Amino acid sequence: MRFLSPLLGIVLFLCVSCKKPPEKMEVTETRRPSTKDQAVKFFASSDERFRDAKPSPVKGKAPQNWLALPASQFRELNYRFGESGTGEVYVTLASGSVADNANRWFGQFGRPKLSPAEIDALEKLPIAGTQGVWIEAKGEYGSAMGGGSKPGYGLAGVIAQIGETILTLKMVGPEAEVEAEKEALKAFAASLEMTQ
Amino acid sequence: MQNETHQPNPKKRKSLIRRIYDVLSGFHLATIALVLLLILTWLATLEQIDAGLYPTLKKYFSWESPFILPTLNGKTIPVILPGGYYVSAILLINMTLGGIIRIRKGWGQAGNLISHFGIVFMLLGGGVAHHFSERGNMMIRETETVDVAEDYHEYVIEVAENKYGKPQEISVIRGKFLENLHAGQTTIFSFKGLPISLEVSGYLGNCQPENALSNPPRSKELVADGYYLSELKNNTQTERNIAGCYARIVFADGKKSPPFILWGGQFYPFTFKDAERVFTLDMRKRLWPMPFEVKLDTFTADFHPGTSRPAKFISDVQRIENGQAAKVKIQMNEPMRHSGLTFFQASYGPPDAKPGDKLYSVFEIVKNPADKWPEYSLYMVAFGMLVTFLTKLGSHIGASSRKRNHAA
Repeated sequence: MRFLSPLLGIVLFLCVSCKKPPEKMEVTETRRPSTKDQAVKFFASSDERFRDAKPSPVKGKAPQNWLALPASQFRELNYRFGESGTGEVYVTLASGSVADNANRWFGQFGRPKLSPAEIDALEKLPIAGTQGVWIEAKGEYGSAMGGGSKPGYGLAGVIAQIGETILTLKMVGPEAEVEAEKEALKAFAASLEMTQ
Repeated sequence: MQNETHQPNPKKRKSLIRRIYDVLSGFHLATIALVLLLILTWLATLEQIDAGLYPTLKKYFSWESPFILPTLNGKTIPVILPGGYYVSAILLINMTLGGIIRIRKGWGQAGNLISHFGIVFMLLGGGVAHHFSERGNMMIRETETVDVAEDYHEYVIEVAENKYGKPQEISVIRGKFLENLHAGQTTIFSFKGLPISLEVSGYLGNCQPENALSNPPRSKELVADGYYLSELKNNTQTERNIAGCYARIVFADGKKSPPFILWGGQFYPFTFKDAERVFTLDMRKRLWPMPFEVKLDTFTADFHPGTSRPAKFISDVQRIENGQAAKVKIQMNEPMRHSGLTFFQASYGPPDAKPGDKLYSVFEIVKNPADKWPEYSLYMVAFGMLVTFLTKLGSHIGASSRKRNHAA
C-alpha cells in the first residue's frame, strides 16, 4: 500500500511523457479567413519566404556569433546576440537630427539630454563611409514598448548623418553582453555601406 | 448486586472508507498540501529566473506534470515533488470534505464555513482557468480593423485552397500534434475536402532557416531548396521562440513532393499547384477568431517627463458587431469586457518609435470563464472571516457580561 501511490504516479508520468505521434491523422479543425489573411504572395522562393529578400539600403559584415534575423518595417538590418538571447543589434534609417536620436537613446536610460555641442564632442567612429557619434549608456533600460524597464542593461551604438537621412546602429542588451561585443560592434559599423 | 465495574470496550476498528475519509478531510492533509504549495511556489519562482515564466508554470502547475524534479541554477535537485495541479486538487477535496462537509455546523461556525466556501471556490476557479482559459494578443494600427487574436506560444500549420487570390476555408494542424514530431518522427495529416495530405517531420521549437551555401550545415541537417533549419536554444521568454519543421506534400496517387521548410517566421506561405488548384501552406502562431471586429481610431501614449517610460496609454476603439459600432476606451487597468473576452491594454510599438511615428497598440485578450472568481472568492473569505470575528467578539462580550453579573 505504501508504495502504491508513488508507483501509480510514476506510471501516470510515463503515460503522459511517452506519447508517440500517430502515423496518420485527419485534421478537422478549420477557421474562416480573417483580416490577417490579406495580401498573400504566391509561389515565393525560399529566399523570399525566409529573408524577404528585397535589396537592403544598407549592408555590412556581421560577426558570426550574431544571429541574423529578417529585416522589418523599422529595421534595415536585424540581429540578436549574447548568451541570454535578449541582446539586439539593429540598423535603422531615421529622421530628425543626430542630437534628437542620441537624446532619445539617453532618455531610454533616464539620462539627461545633451546639447548638440556636447553630442558633437563625443567620440567619433567610421560608419558607412562617414563619421558617426559613438553613444554609450547603461542602467535601467525603458524601451518604448511599454513592457516595463530592464535593469542592468547596456547600450552602445553609432548615429551618423548620411545626406538627409540619419543612420543609426544600436546595440542593446544585458550590460555585460554589450560590453563584450563593443569591439565587434565598432568593426561592424566600419563595415556598413549604403547600397542606395 | 451485579458488579457494575465497566470493562473497557475493545476499540472499534473503523472501516477502510471511513479511514480514507478521515485522512482526506483531515487537518494534517490540509497542512501538508499548503506547505507543498508554498515550497512549489518558492521553487518555481527561483526556477523561472533561468527557465522563463511560461515553461516553469507548465512544469510546476500543469495537469500534465504529476511529479516534478526542481532545477536550480541549472542543476537538478534529486527530490521528486508532486505537481502543483494535483496538490491543489487534493487541497480542494480536503477543503470540501473537511472544511464544508465534516465541519461542525452551527451559527458559531458560520464564518468558517463561508471562508471555506470561498477557498473551495478559488481552487475551482484555478482549475477552470487552467483547463478552459485562452490567452492571445492583438496588434492593431490606427484606422486598422482586426477580427483575430494571435496565440502567444502555439505554432500551427495552416493549409488552404486559394480562389481568386484569397484563401477559402483554412485547415489548422494544432501545435499539440506537431510538437512531438522531432527528428525520426513523422505524421501524415489529411484534410477534409482537400485532395492532398501533408507529411510533417523534424519539428524544432526554436530555429531559423540558414542558407546552406553561405552557412553550410554542421550536423547533416536536411537541406531543402537551399535552406536548412538550424536549432536554437530556447528563449526564456518562450513567446520569442520561432518554430519550424520539414514537410512534404502527399498527392492523391501516393507520390510525394520534395521536402520543404515551414517556419513560423516566414514572410510568405509555401505555395503549390495541383491540377490548376492553388494551395498555400503556412506556419504561424495560432490565430484566434474574435466574435466581433475591433477598429483602432486613435492611440495616445503619455510619458513620464523627460523619459520614454509610459505614464499611460489609451486606445480609442470601435467594437463592430453585426454592423453596429460601439465606441470603447481601453487603457491600463480599464479593460474592455465583452462576449466573455477581456481586452487589456498590454503594450504598444514599434520599440524604437520616434516622435511623430505612427504607433500601434497591443491588446492582451483573455477568455477565462473564471475571470472574476478569484475576486468573488476573496470577498467570500473576507466576509467569512468578518463573521467569525464578530461571532467571537459577541461571545466574548456575552461571556464577560455574564461573568460580571455573576460576580455582582
